[in-house]
Amino acid sequence: MLAFNDLHKRFDDVVALDGCSFTAQRGRMLGFLGPNGAGKTTAMRAVFGLVRPDSGSITWEGKPIAHEDRQPFGYMPEQRGLYPKMKTHDQLVYLGRLHGVPPGDASRSADRWLERFGLLDRRDDAVESLSHGNQQRVQLAAALIHDPELLVLDEPFSGLDPIAVETMSDVLREEAAAGKAVVFSSHQLDLVEDLCQDVAIIHEGRIVMEGGVKDLKDSAPIRHVELEVEGDAEPLLDLLDGGRQGRSDGNRHTVIIPADTDMRGFLARAQEAGRLRHFTYTTPSLSDLFREAVR
Amino acid sequence: MRPLATVWQVALREFKERGRSRAYLLTTAATVLLVLGVIVVPQMLGGGTDQFEVGLLGEGGGAIVERATQLGTASDDPGAEPSISISTISYENREEAESDLAAGGIDAVLVADSEVISETGGFAGNTLVDLLQGGAAATKLEEILAGGDGEAARVVELMTSHPLTATSLSGDDPADDTRELVAYAGLLLLYMAILLYGNWILSGVTEEKTNRVVEVLLSGLRPWQLLGGKILGIGFLGMAQFAGTIVLGLIALQAVGEIAIPAIGTTTLAHLLIWFILGFLLYAVMFGAAGSLVSRTEDAQTIAFPMSLVAVAGFFVSISALDDPSGAPAVIGTFVPIVAPFVVPVRAALQSIPWWQYAASVVLTMASIIGMVFVAGRIYKGALLRFGGRITLREAWRGAVE
Repeated sequence: MLAFNDLHKRFDDVVALDGCSFTAQRGRMLGFLGPNGAGKTTAMRAVFGLVRPDSGSITWEGKPIAHEDRQPFGYMPEQRGLYPKMKTHDQLVYLGRLHGVPPGDASRSADRWLERFGLLDRRDDAVESLSHGNQQRVQLAAALIHDPELLVLDEPFSGLDPIAVETMSDVLREEAAAGKAVVFSSHQLDLVEDLCQDVAIIHEGRIVMEGGVKDLKDSAPIRHVELEVEGDAEPLLDLLDGGRQGRSDGNRHTVIIPADTDMRGFLARAQEAGRLRHFTYTTPSLSDLFREAVR
Repeated sequence: MRPLATVWQVALREFKERGRSRAYLLTTAATVLLVLGVIVVPQMLGGGTDQFEVGLLGEGGGAIVERATQLGTASDDPGAEPSISISTISYENREEAESDLAAGGIDAVLVADSEVISETGGFAGNTLVDLLQGGAAATKLEEILAGGDGEAARVVELMTSHPLTATSLSGDDPADDTRELVAYAGLLLLYMAILLYGNWILSGVTEEKTNRVVEVLLSGLRPWQLLGGKILGIGFLGMAQFAGTIVLGLIALQAVGEIAIPAIGTTTLAHLLIWFILGFLLYAVMFGAAGSLVSRTEDAQTIAFPMSLVAVAGFFVSISALDDPSGAPAVIGTFVPIVAPFVVPVRAALQSIPWWQYAASVVLTMASIIGMVFVAGRIYKGALLRFGGRITLREAWRGAVE
């Protein structure tokens, strides 16, 4: 288990982390969400000692993390970085060796991951000759080369085409299923909802929501309503007292309402008016939760 | 993984990747060509007839010059242009001859059959003086054989001796000139090597920031391991190139007969090597720290400029040490670690440094390398993960604890 305990970090006059606490479990995938500048990258870097918190601690399996303990950690930084002129395979082997993998194992592991990402025929090509998406695959392979127990990935899906997203999702699912703790940040909330069992939402350096995706949705004090109305929707929308307009697309309206809103009454009134064409009432999506949390 | 094993991994990567990079192979080829060119080309241009003029004082010089010319042309192809020709001018008194010699009107003066005067000892010996020595030996030999008392031992002795007393106007011991040449060449190589390989460290460090691989690396290793491995790897590559160039240069010198290798001496080579290592380490650590302060290769040279300037200053101090190896600048330079790597080997090659100064200089330089490792290591650590513009030393220093 990876635990962030009340992390504080200030860069000059910018507060990056302001009491950040959450945990990531083995065998599960945690989506680390937050608006730009919320402190995601700072928190992830702190796991690797790249940022030293002003106060608070990070523990792995209950113990504070020393440099040697990071050997079984895999990291994919937000700013991708590999040696551009080094051969793909050599590069992966080198990074594996730095994490203490014996030469033979590192070489086999590199080939296995390259094969998995469909890049085996490019193993002796310089990294700079690969496309952006392929470089990103190599970057993920670099984080996986030493078969880490904890994976921390900073926006692994950004800039990937749907096929690449699919491969990467599959790999991460397998890693989590194999008992590893997987933490990744992303702005693709649908993808996170699809992939992750847990989420932690950070806002202005503080965790504002944390837990299992399903639990959070079920226990959320809000509901997601979509309705399609003929003509002027205002009178009907006004009925959803305390509701908040999501988006409107022609006649279709999305509204987030408090969970305790009297829907029976609303529906009765709506049917009387006879103008309601489409109606859904669901637990909020992760996007809804996110927007609520960081408002 | 043990900490030093990680350093070794980094060094190995530098060695392998940089060693087979086009830049390394090209600089190696260029250095080798340059050194060979400097040695071999003058020799090739030296075709045709070398014209010498010898002043004669007293009796007996004419026969020596005649024999010397025969010796000098003995290995010429039949019918080809003679490779040397020696003309003679007779003088009445020594002063006149010496003043012509000093003015460059003549190349040497033969005093009867007993002494040869040249202007200076010459860097690499003096072809003319050698020829005249040979001529004198041959003349003596002829006399002995004509007299019929040609004992074998006496003949052999003459063949291998220098019958003429060699003096020069400048009064130098000719061996000093060889030492000076070696010191100068060694200094030049040392200076080039330290700056060249120091710059590799500089650009290597900056490149890792430019392509952002440094963040991946630092998630698995410590800054000092990265810097240490880099210095080690590039140091080995540099030393291979440096030593290879020197050895090739020596072989070429031997082949063209300019200098006998024993004249250079293994001690001088040892001094060069010791000070290459010390100087390289000191500058490598400083260049490494400088490289970490910028994120773009274009900025790297700017930030390293002050250090290159110091090296240039050191170079000039050591040039002055060539003239006056015991003078104040040379002695002061001996105790200034960033200048010492250029000054001390020169003084050592010229055999004019007391042992205690040498020892003190080594200790001081090593101490400042160690001190610099800590200072530069902290700057390096504090600056590596700060991207964007140029980071000030103060920011980097404070950044190390963040």
